[in-house]
Amino acid sequence: MNGLLVVIRRYGTSSIGRKQIAALTGLMLVGFLCGHLAGNFLLYKGMEAFNHYSEFLQSQTLLPVIELGLLAVFLTHICMALWLTWENWRARPERYEVRESAGGRTWGSATMIWTGLFLLGFLLFHVSTFRLIEAEDEAGIFGVVVAWFQSVPVVVFYLCALTALGLHLSHGVQSAFQTFGAEHPNATPVIKPAGLAFAVFLAAAFGLMPLWSHCIYRG
Amino acid sequence: MKLDAKIPSGPLEQKWDQRRFEAKLVNPANRRKFDVIVVGTGLAGAGAAASLGELGYNVLNLCIQDSPRRAHSIAAQGGINAAKNYPNDGDSVRRLFTDTVKGGDYRAREANVYRLAQISNSIIDHCTALGVPFARDYGGLLDNRSFGGAQVSRTFYARGQTGQQLLLGAYSALMRQAASGRVKVLPRREMVELVLVDGRARGVVCRNLVTGKLESYAGHAVCLATGGYGNVFYLSTNANSCNVGAAWRAYKKGAAFANPCFTQIHPTCIPVSGTHQSKLTLMSESLRNDGRVWVPKKAGDSRSPESIPEDERDYFLERRYPSFGNLVPRDVASRAAKVVCDEGKGVGASKLSVYLDFRDAIKRDGLAAIREKYGNLFDMYHHITDEDPQKVPMRIYPAVHYTMGGLWVDYDLMTTVPGLFCLGEANFSDHGANRLGASALMQGLADGFFIIPATLSGYLAGEKLGKVSAEHEAFREAEKAADARVQKLLSVNGKRTPADIHRELGGLMWEYCGMGRNEAGLKKALARVPELKEEFWKNVRVTGSGADFNQTLERALRTADYMELAELILRDALERKESCGGHFREESRTPEGEALRDDAGFSHVAAWEYQGEGSAPVRHTEPLSFEHAKPSQRSYK
Amino acid sequence: MIGIRLNLRIWRQKGPADAGALKSYEVDGILPDMSFLEMLDVLNEKLILQGEDPVAFDHDCREGICGMCSLVIDGRPHGKDEGATSCDNRMRRYKDGDTITVEPFRAKGFPVVKDLVVDRSAFDRIMQAGGFISVNTGSAPEAHCVPVPRHKAEAAMDAAACVGCGACVAACPNASGMLFVAAKVSQLALLPQGAVERERRALSMIKQHDLEGFGNCTNEAECEAACPKGVKLSNIARLNREYLRASILTPAQ
Ligand SMILES: Cc1cc2nc3c(=O)[nH]c(=O)nc-3n(C[C@H](O)[C@H](O)[C@H](O)COP(=O)(O)OP(=O)(O)OC[C@H]3O[C@@H](n4cnc5c(N)ncnc54)[C@H](O)[C@@H]3O)c2cc1C
Ligand code: HEM
Ligand code: HEM
Ligand code: SF4
Ligand code: F3S
Ligand code: FES
Repeated sequence: MNGLLVVIRRYGTSSIGRKQIAALTGLMLVGFLCGHLAGNFLLYKGMEAFNHYSEFLQSQTLLPVIELGLLAVFLTHICMALWLTWENWRARPERYEVRESAGGRTWGSATMIWTGLFLLGFLLFHVSTFRLIEAEDEAGIFGVVVAWFQSVPVVVFYLCALTALGLHLSHGVQSAFQTFGAEHPNATPVIKPAGLAFAVFLAAAFGLMPLWSHCIYRG
Repeated sequence: MKLDAKIPSGPLEQKWDQRRFEAKLVNPANRRKFDVIVVGTGLAGAGAAASLGELGYNVLNLCIQDSPRRAHSIAAQGGINAAKNYPNDGDSVRRLFTDTVKGGDYRAREANVYRLAQISNSIIDHCTALGVPFARDYGGLLDNRSFGGAQVSRTFYARGQTGQQLLLGAYSALMRQAASGRVKVLPRREMVELVLVDGRARGVVCRNLVTGKLESYAGHAVCLATGGYGNVFYLSTNANSCNVGAAWRAYKKGAAFANPCFTQIHPTCIPVSGTHQSKLTLMSESLRNDGRVWVPKKAGDSRSPESIPEDERDYFLERRYPSFGNLVPRDVASRAAKVVCDEGKGVGASKLSVYLDFRDAIKRDGLAAIREKYGNLFDMYHHITDEDPQKVPMRIYPAVHYTMGGLWVDYDLMTTVPGLFCLGEANFSDHGANRLGASALMQGLADGFFIIPATLSGYLAGEKLGKVSAEHEAFREAEKAADARVQKLLSVNGKRTPADIHRELGGLMWEYCGMGRNEAGLKKALARVPELKEEFWKNVRVTGSGADFNQTLERALRTADYMELAELILRDALERKESCGGHFREESRTPEGEALRDDAGFSHVAAWEYQGEGSAPVRHTEPLSFEHAKPSQRSYK
Repeated sequence: MIGIRLNLRIWRQKGPADAGALKSYEVDGILPDMSFLEMLDVLNEKLILQGEDPVAFDHDCREGICGMCSLVIDGRPHGKDEGATSCDNRMRRYKDGDTITVEPFRAKGFPVVKDLVVDRSAFDRIMQAGGFISVNTGSAPEAHCVPVPRHKAEAAMDAAACVGCGACVAACPNASGMLFVAAKVSQLALLPQGAVERERRALSMIKQHDLEGFGNCTNEAECEAACPKGVKLSNIARLNREYLRASILTPAQ
């Protein structure tokens, strides 16, 4: 047992181990988002379908376990990300006076920590408004969602968050493949654009929901 | 001084076995009681330090660069020879031996060269095992290419970076020993004194190039693997830090310096573009396989190359050497280029270059096929000169490349100072008067990995060496001498920079002791060099202090040694009245103007003994005899 | 006077413990054929004659192979010339009156020694941790005992081309040395000779890399763009794979 702990510690404190953990949890979050998106599509079907779906989820006995798991994944991802980033800042104590990119960096990769932190703020708001509340009237959770989306600042906030998500994943998805060493002369050139397309799709698909609720949905 | 080469008895093939059998062994448990200092981390030095560490000796390894991986062996491009006979084209140890002796124009020791050829195969095995990514064919086996001076394909290579890959292999072996603690590597250290105790080499003083402090290290033996001294010519294909310092300190402490005038000039280098130039870049010799060398027939013709019609071009190599054409050996090609430039037919702004033209090859094989072979060289040339060799002919000129001369060593690689060994390009080596392409890497690795471990044990086990520590007063004296030189240089406060005076020295050497040498010129230079040396010590400007990272001081210290070495080279060139290999005495040539050897008068090694400041050094000779490779006059007509 | 005049802003720092700053200089007579280092030579020759301390910078081969030169020119490690080391940059790209800023490689793992000179001995220590194949002189088998598929030998050579200059660290926004480590781990993992020790090598080289204070790779790809020897990012992918594999397969000692 002791040996196993040593092995885990060796992995979990090394630079590559930590970034693989960040990548793994990141990909798990992507997985969650895919499911979340699929479920959320029911929004377009109307109140009944959406509430039904929500109640179905709430009735699962395993839900608390899954939610705790999700929380753990989030926390792990965030901890690893903060730890790595903190070290990376300290690895160059004296900055360059003149700095020019040779073309490797992208907006997405350069802003990972900022988009990530923004997403964290978003999540706190999102979960406290959509998850940690009891819907009082019969409009249920559907009503809550649509009500929030009537506010322009909220919609704008969501659109910003989803842009951040898109940026985060524009680098994150392809980066996670690289982090796990998925590399092949024929596959690598595809992974990059595919990751980017996926990020744009996810952000756009989520982004349509507040817009739809605000502009198109009329009770 | 007695020059005893200590060649083992017995037939040529068995001499090396014989020596390894005779040599006393050091008991494995006792090896860690022996401290060995290895100066240099090139192929020879890193190889020696690594293999001595593996054996269990306590090794100290010094180099000038910030990492052992940067020794100038890194720059070798072409390849390394070995007698594997993989291509089944009739190669053998015997043939590699014969080619090397002949290539050296019969001025090397047969026994040494034979041993080199024998060891060559083990080098390939060892380097492959170390992870050197040699080129391979589709069956996964090692590939060979052909190289100058041989009719067989025996050159192993790793793209155009063979030296780099071999050095990184040796460096990795060294790093493994460093990790084990048996070798201590000290980079950014320059050896500035050799320390003798009771007539034996027992340590070195080096300058810590970061702090400027003089540091003393004691040991039971000292191995110098400090590379060549081509930079005495200022411009050469050598790296900036290549220097003669370590060997020169040894010379001044009694080690004989052999054949200093044997320098190799490589025909295909990018020509000098101005006085700002700090080094010359080699372009692979392989270019001559498809490029045609020419100059305009008319002296002073300044038309652009495209506008010179075919019948006004002089393809001088093809004209003079119809059977070998553009593929004559290095020394012959270099001299021919000099001849046409001396006639005023040189091209380019400086008029000191000749064309190497790919027009016909491109017309014949197509651009794609030619690029396949030389694409990266074309790009490199284009990048440096801003001229595209696919459109206009390349311009090339010979440049100093390698020094065959060096500290005299016996068969065991020991100099005339007991306990002082010399390896690699720094010794006077197995290449005679001219080195074949791809043979220096072979020699460095043979010396370092395979020869020194055997012969050093013979010395250490065979002698009673008392304990000497760096506290010994001999070290204090050496430190004092080194410090005095530093302080003197700092105090001159003159008007010329070290690089400036070095440039002038190089110009003199190139002019009078370069591709062609004659009595009048050598005498003239012999008069001028001491004047320049005097000027150096009176008029050099070195800023900063000795107790600091001071590159100007480093440069000045190296230049000071070159001033003295230059004189010795000139003397040696003057005394050797024959032409042989890279040494071309204009007085000694055949009626057609080719180099003419004088075997009756000069079939020997000339080894110079220092006699103190102000006295002329004494020339000793070690006669050479050729029983297996019979001397013949080279001809490439 | 022939040649162009340039304004230089050069990082001057007396020693590791001293504070540094950019200092301005002027040079003239700079010719298009000069290399960047030869331009600095011109400046230094002038400074020496003025009795000023010349600018310290590392260099040796001056032909792009030793990996000693290490300048950040206008924010780009090894300058803008493609596939070139600092010494291989030419002055052709500059116009009369241009201003050029020259800084040292900056990273915690590469402390400044003086001016533009940094201490890269961390790379040697990473190599000592496992960048080798454990074979003693004399014990190697005949070279042809082990064939190596050509494409693997070629890929190993691509990785082996690394000159250990450290530009990857200098360019990396995280000052990570991953490309350097990856090049060596890849080279030796691709060859059957090196495969025997691959787990140990990956684990200990990364351990040392982290200890030296280099940052973590977040796949920024600036290193690949700065590398003068074209070492590819795919090597980092391979290193990541090797590391994961080694982490699983290697028991705790
Ligand atoms: C451009 C070029 C291309 C070449 N191509 C080929 C080729 O294709 N094939 C071939 O066989 N040969 C080739 N050669 C020749 C060959 O590379 C060298 O002869 C050989 O590598 C020399 O190795 P070495 O170990 O003796 O010395 P080097 O590799 O020069 O090493 C010298 C070492 O000594 C150290 N040193 C020197 N002085 C001191 C001091 N005073 N104190 C402390 N340390 C010191 C240096 O730091 C360095 O570590 C080429 C040479 C050049 C220049
Ligand atoms: C913009 C469109 C989105 C809508 C309409 C939406 C809607 C919802 C709703 C209604 C819930 C509560 C589910 C329930 O109680 O059954 C929820 C939960 C949650 N959402 Fe969203 N969401 C959106 C985007 C996002 C995004 C972009 C993220 C992540 C970055 C996210 C992360 C979460 C999380 C973590 C939960 C809590 C899940 C749980 O505890 O079970 N959501 N969302
Ligand atoms: C919606 C939730 C999130 C998803 C889907 C997600 C996804 C990802 C993915 C796939 C990666 C790539 C890992 C890699 O490069 O190998 C990643 C990296 C990163 N994430 Fe997130 N992330 C999310 C939230 C966050 C949050 C809240 C933070 C910040 C606190 C954050 C900070 C980071 C950082 C800094 C990285 C770069 C680390 C690295 O590349 O090693 N992320 N993320
Ligand atoms: S990987 Fe490239 S940039 Fe990094 S040290 Fe090697 S050669 Fe230099
Ligand atoms: S730039 Fe840095 S983040 Fe990784 S991909 Fe290169 S080491
Ligand atoms: S000085 Fe050797 S690579 Fe630049």
